[in-house]
Parts: sequence; structure tokens; C-alpha cells
Amino acid sequence: MQAGPRVKRQPAWHMLASEFRDATLNEKGSGEFDPSFVITKLGAKVNRVIVAGLLERLEVSETANGSTLYQGQLRDPSGQHYFSVGDYASEAMRELTTRLTAKMEAGEPELVLMVAKARWYQTEEGAIYTSLRPEEACIIDGKTYANWITRACQGTINRMDAFSASLELEPTKQAYSASESIPDNLVEGLITSRNHYGEIDLEQYKLNIMQALDIAEGKMSSATKPVPVLNVSSAVEGDDEGEGSDLEECVLSLIRQLDQGDGVDFEALLSNANARGFPRPDGEAMLDELSEKGVVHEPRFGWFKIVE
Amino acid sequence: MSDGQFDSYIEAVQKECPEADYDAIATAFLKYQDDFKIPPQDSMRSIIRSLNSSKSIPNTRAGGSSSSSQPVATKKVERLNELKAADKEIEIEVEIISHNLREQTIRGEQKQIAFGLLEDNPWAENGDKNRWEYKDWAPSPNLAPGSIVRLEGVSVNEYQGKMSLNINQSSRVVVIREGTRPVVAPGEAQDIASLPTDGYACVVGRILSLREDQIHKKDGSGSIDIVRGRLADESGIIGFLSWESFEHKVGALIKIDGAQIRTFRDTPELNFGRTTKVELFHDKNFPGIETLSKQTVLTVSELRDGARDVDTVVQIIEWSKRTFTKDGTDKYLWSGQIADPTGRCRMSAWEDLPIDVDSLPLTVKLKGVRVRAWQGIPDITVDTADQVEMLDKSPWDEDIDFSTHTVEVVLNELATGASRVGVTTEAIVVSVREDSGFIQRCTECRRVLRDGHCATHDANDGETDVRMRLVIDDGLASMSLLINKEGSLGLLAMTEEELGSEINSNGQLDFVQTLRSKMLGRKIRASGRTIVDEQGGMMLADSAEMVEEDAEMKATEIRAQWGVN
Repeated sequence: MQAGPRVKRQPAWHMLASEFRDATLNEKGSGEFDPSFVITKLGAKVNRVIVAGLLERLEVSETANGSTLYQGQLRDPSGQHYFSVGDYASEAMRELTTRLTAKMEAGEPELVLMVAKARWYQTEEGAIYTSLRPEEACIIDGKTYANWITRACQGTINRMDAFSASLELEPTKQAYSASESIPDNLVEGLITSRNHYGEIDLEQYKLNIMQALDIAEGKMSSATKPVPVLNVSSAVEGDDEGEGSDLEECVLSLIRQLDQGDGVDFEALLSNANARGFPRPDGEAMLDELSEKGVVHEPRFGWFKIVE
Repeated sequence: MSDGQFDSYIEAVQKECPEADYDAIATAFLKYQDDFKIPPQDSMRSIIRSLNSSKSIPNTRAGGSSSSSQPVATKKVERLNELKAADKEIEIEVEIISHNLREQTIRGEQKQIAFGLLEDNPWAENGDKNRWEYKDWAPSPNLAPGSIVRLEGVSVNEYQGKMSLNINQSSRVVVIREGTRPVVAPGEAQDIASLPTDGYACVVGRILSLREDQIHKKDGSGSIDIVRGRLADESGIIGFLSWESFEHKVGALIKIDGAQIRTFRDTPELNFGRTTKVELFHDKNFPGIETLSKQTVLTVSELRDGARDVDTVVQIIEWSKRTFTKDGTDKYLWSGQIADPTGRCRMSAWEDLPIDVDSLPLTVKLKGVRVRAWQGIPDITVDTADQVEMLDKSPWDEDIDFSTHTVEVVLNELATGASRVGVTTEAIVVSVREDSGFIQRCTECRRVLRDGHCATHDANDGETDVRMRLVIDDGLASMSLLINKEGSLGLLAMTEEELGSEINSNGQLDFVQTLRSKMLGRKIRASGRTIVDEQGGMMLADSAEMVEEDAEMKATEIRAQWGVN
């Protein structure tokens, strides 16, 4: 096997969290050296990204086989990225992670930029969640963050333009390649994404960009939104009256995301909520609570839907 | 201090953390906003978390990914001769040599099947290869002549002692390299510029030049008369070689069907043989020879290894005589650097040229020269002095100083094109390699030593050098960026001694991490030359600088442009 010459380094996409998080499609060749991709709704075939944001959580946990896994969240103007750093990461990456964890514990906020590989995992029900595995990262200042934001916005706008152009065309490689509005690197991804996601709503991405540009321009007042109605206590602590609001949001968004028309089954919900850091008993309790409140209903046993 | 702008947020935070002090929370919000550009709705979670940071949260990940894939006995082989008649579920990488479709009646049903030849060992340039026939029972659109594919789940079929491969309904065909020989209907002419690098083609073109030549057989058993020439259409020019007698004249418009394309170095050439059909073609609107000949003038960026009969106008920047001994006699050749506004490269001449080294730079027109390349850098070879015409003035702006002039090229173009000299590009730093800093080079060959050893010259004391190794990326392609000592020290704004003492006191790992915090995700501008091969591109830079960007202005610009759409 001459694997070397064929493995070209995959380029990195500047991408906001919302686009990456919305992705539920992946592509993986079966060969050992085939790159794998997460395909976003806007047609980016992502193997590697450059992301940045506020480090919001970074915690260490032991996995079943005794290795150490750090899991964290990075918040940009559009939402959060989930990332993990394990024993497989480079020494420099692990050392930085340890340093950042200490800073988190000490309550010192940091802006972080990372070049990361796109990962996904699939639940038994077929739902796909994306996450990141950073290769290299560093602490950055506000100025660098603002520059990253402009690049991520420009990238998203370009992809939205190409996406809109693709709607006018037959979803074939020929038609897309011939179109001047669709860059070559989006042709394949757009075909796959249009087949998979069907109609998508660009409104949310537009809002994300507007807010992100406000921040890059230094117009903090227009980037400031009213206080979220949600209570922000971290639900897993589960010992004060604010219990469950993050969990509630998580469960509701899971149902929204996974519902293909028949509702979402109990097991899928709990294992997914668990993967998001909410223990199963809490998830179960939340489902009960939501059913009682009439927010979700159970059209047939063990399947949950949001009450429209 | 915060003029109450965060009041509603502070209230929300205090609800969570009743003991927290108003001013402390306000200060935190302000710090996030001013230092980090994080609006309060995004920073409030972090603030609450840090106020509550004493309580740590146990966190468990979802139960293992229990993908219960069944064990399938896949037989993975590299060569066809490893296979036996009863083998099933085979995985192998092959090149598709031919692909044909036919209708067949199977159990009373009309079905289309595909068949043809495939070849193993597809990655070896000239290695030994085996060819087998194959049948594809559910014709896969991924099979095309010239493509390299991985077949998964195929089986062996043995009939009268002859083995072939069956590609079944359930088999998977993964394209690893797209076919370079598009299937073209016979008799349908292709543009010269879009010809593949091998295979057969049909071309309509006008003959630009012709000359008779002889090829001497290597075994000394005689020589073959051939005709060489060049053929052009509006899209480009290609050289040809006819092994048969050739009666058409310069200027004639001809149609050639069934010509074989062979690629010498990086330059394709048409070969006319016994089965090639060459005939006059009639098209009043086809451009004349004068128009087509203009295309023969190439710029430095268009030079390719193996090209012949090239005309170009260049400026000679450096010119010197080199003597060497061959077969006991002293010989010499002239060589030096040349340039035009598209780039720089080298030139060599085997005869004395009327060039006064003291009056350089000089502009010359070169006619009918050939191009070789060394490490991807084109080197024009001038065989006789009459190929060179001295020009009084340059066709371009006289003020360009080619010894320092570099050409701006976008990274994607550099990464996918030929090797270039004298280029500058801008891209984002996506990796700072951990061997950036001091390295030891082999005293014999200047290669980097690994643990004090050179791959060819073994143990070695080494010579200390400084270099930085980065990866840069423009979102479409990436390239390694190696910056030499001068460029690295310039970029770091440090002397070699300062660099040494920093690494000595903080360690290599810390040094590299410091580089990352200065460079990762930021734009860099680098100048130098590139080497591009199948493994990707590499830029060898002698200078580099970080590009300062104004995010506020850029954001306003993006918003304005976006608004137009």
C-alpha cells in the first residue's frame, strides 16, 4: 500500500458553532486513510475547522478504560462547540488543556482559538452529534477573536450564497460545477446536503452573522440581547430551585431535532441527554415534568412529541 | 463604572449567586465585553460558573458506542495473484483499464451489465502489474476507464482455468482517483487544452511546424524516420510525432482520429501510428496560422518540464560560466537566473551568447528552446546561439527589479500548480510544528538530522540552523511553509542568541506554544519558492511577516457587501 501520496491534508473551514452543530450528516470512506467529513446544511464538507470563542466549560473525566478525557465547550456568538481532548492528543495540546482547566477552576475566563478535527458520533437511533477534537489551540486576545469572527462570517455568507444559488439548479454535479455562483469546494457537499436536509431555513444563520459582525465591529450594545428567559443554573447540580432549565432546553431541542414525525423514543432521548452531560435519572424526571406540564405528549407508549 | 448597562444581567446573576457583589459582577461583565468581545448574554453563564466554581460537577459521558458491526471475513489483498478461485468478499485497489456496457438476458430478464479489464498494483508507476477481466452485474457509475478504485465485496470467478472478478450487486466501488481518460465518442474532436495526459484522442488542429527527424534504436540496429511537429487550435498547442509517413504541409488544417497521447515529463505529446487516421479538415472559421502562433509565446509561469519549441521573452538577471570535466575533457556551460513579470526560473546555454555580464539585466527573446526542470524549477535549455535574440527594451515596465520582484499568487493556485520561484502568498496559519526553532543539519547534505543521524550519511555532528515549519491554509488548500533562518529570525524579531536563550530557559514545548499564541489562526504573508509534487505543496520562504488586520473595518465591509446581495 502506498498510502502516503494519496493523503493530502484537508483544508480548514472557518465556521460558526451554529452551522457545525446543526450538521447531522457524515461521510466516511471505508479505507484506513480515507478522511471523514461532517457535511453541514450549507454544504461544507468539513474535516477540519478553525473555531474560536469563550471557553465556557472544561472538565476532566475518567473513561471506562481508565484513560483521561477532557470535555469542554467553546462559545462563539452563534452557540457552542463541544470538544474533547484525550490521551491521544499531542503533549502540547494536553498541557494547554491542563492549564486551561486550572484557569477555569480559578474562574479566569479565556478566549481560545483552535484548529480541530470534526468528529461525530451516532446514537443507535441514527441521530448524529458533532463535536471537535482540537489538534492545536492557543489563548487569544479580543482583537484576534474579532478577526476570526470576520473570517467565519465571510465563510458562512459565501456558503449561504452558494446554497441559495443551488436551489435554482438541478441537484447534479454537472449543473453545480457549471454554475459560477457555486465554488468548486462546495459542489459535492451541496449535492449531498440538499439530498439529506431538504429545505433549510437560513434565517438563523443570518441572525448569527449580524450579531457576530456587531461584535467584530465593536458595537457591543447592538450585540447585546435581552436577558435570556431561561434560568441559567447548570442543571446537573440539581440542588436548587432553578433545576432543570438547561436540561429542559436540552430535552426539548433533542425532541425537535430527532423527531421524524412519529416522535422520539425514550431511550434515544435519555442516552442523548446523557451524552450532553445530563444523568439519565434527571432526564427521565424532566420528561415526566414536561409531560405533566403539557409541553410534550406521548402519542404512543415510549415515544415523545412536542405539543404544537 | 458600567453605568447600569448590565443591570438586568447582574440581577439575573445575583438570583443564581445571592452572595455575589454587584460591582464585582459588573466588572466581570465589562471585562468580558471589552477584553474578550463577549456580549453579556454569552458571558453570564461563565460568570455564574466562576462564582460557583467551588462546586465541581461529576460528568459522565454516554455509554460506549456499541456499534455491533458483525465480523465479516473480508479478504484484503494488494495483488490479483494472491487470490484463489473460491475467494469471496475481497477488497482490492485496481485501475480500470476498459469499461464496456452490454445488454444481457439473465433468467428471461433484460439486464445491463458492464465488463472490461482491470489492473492491480495501480499506484506503482512502472511496476509489474496483472490484468484480469471483470464483470459488473449492477453497473456502477463509479467505474470509468483510467480511474483507480477500491473494490469491496467482490468475488473470484473461475471459468476453464481463467480467473476473473465479479463485481456483485452488494459490492462497493470507491473511487480513489478519478479517471484521467474520459470516454469520448470516437470521431468527436476535443480541445487541445483539455486533452488528458494519456489515452487516445481525436483532435482538429492547424499544423504550425514540421521537421523530419530520426530515432536511433538503442540496440544499434538502425534508425526510424519520424516526423515531429506542432499542432494548434484556439485552446492551445501540442507537439506531435508521427511514426508513419506524413504528407500534410505547414498551415494545413487536419483532423486526427485515434492519436495516442504520451506524456514526456509534464508535457503531453500526440503520437500518430498505423491505426491513427489523419485527414484534411474543412472549416473556414478556423483561425489562421498567424493567430495560432501567438500562443507559442509562453510566460515563465507557463513553462513545464519537458516542453519543446518554446518561445518566450525573459530578462536575464544573473549569468555565469561553469566549467566541468567530462570524459577527461574540460567543458563549460553558461547558466543563470531569468525572470519575467510572472516569475523567475533558470536558464542554461551550451554555446557562448552575446551577453555582457556587466550590463545585466538584459532582455532577450528565446525561440524554439526546450525546458527541463530541477526540483520542480523550470530550466530553459538553449542549445544554439541563434535561438537567442537580444532586445533593446522589455515589453513590460522597465522599472521592475526582478532580483527582488515577487509575484502574488493565491495559495490554492500554488498548491495545485507547478513549482514556482519568486512568489508571495497570504494564508492562515493552521499549524505550528513542534520542530520549529533550532535544528541540526547533516554536514554532508544539509538534511535535518533525526536523533543525530542522517538518513543517508548516518551519525553526524551536524550544523545548527534555525527554521520554522508551519502549515498554511486558505480554506481551499493547504501547504507546508518552511521559513529559513533569516526569515524566521525576522518574523520573530529576535537574534539567534535571543532565540537560543528563550528556548533554553522555557523549553522547546513552551517556545512552540508561544509561537502558536502569536500565529495560529492569523494571516501570514510569505515569499519564496514552492515545490509541488504528489505529496502536496511546500513553500520554502526566505521572508515572512504576520499581516495586521482591522477586524472592525473588515466587518463593516462584509456587512456592506452582504447588503447588496
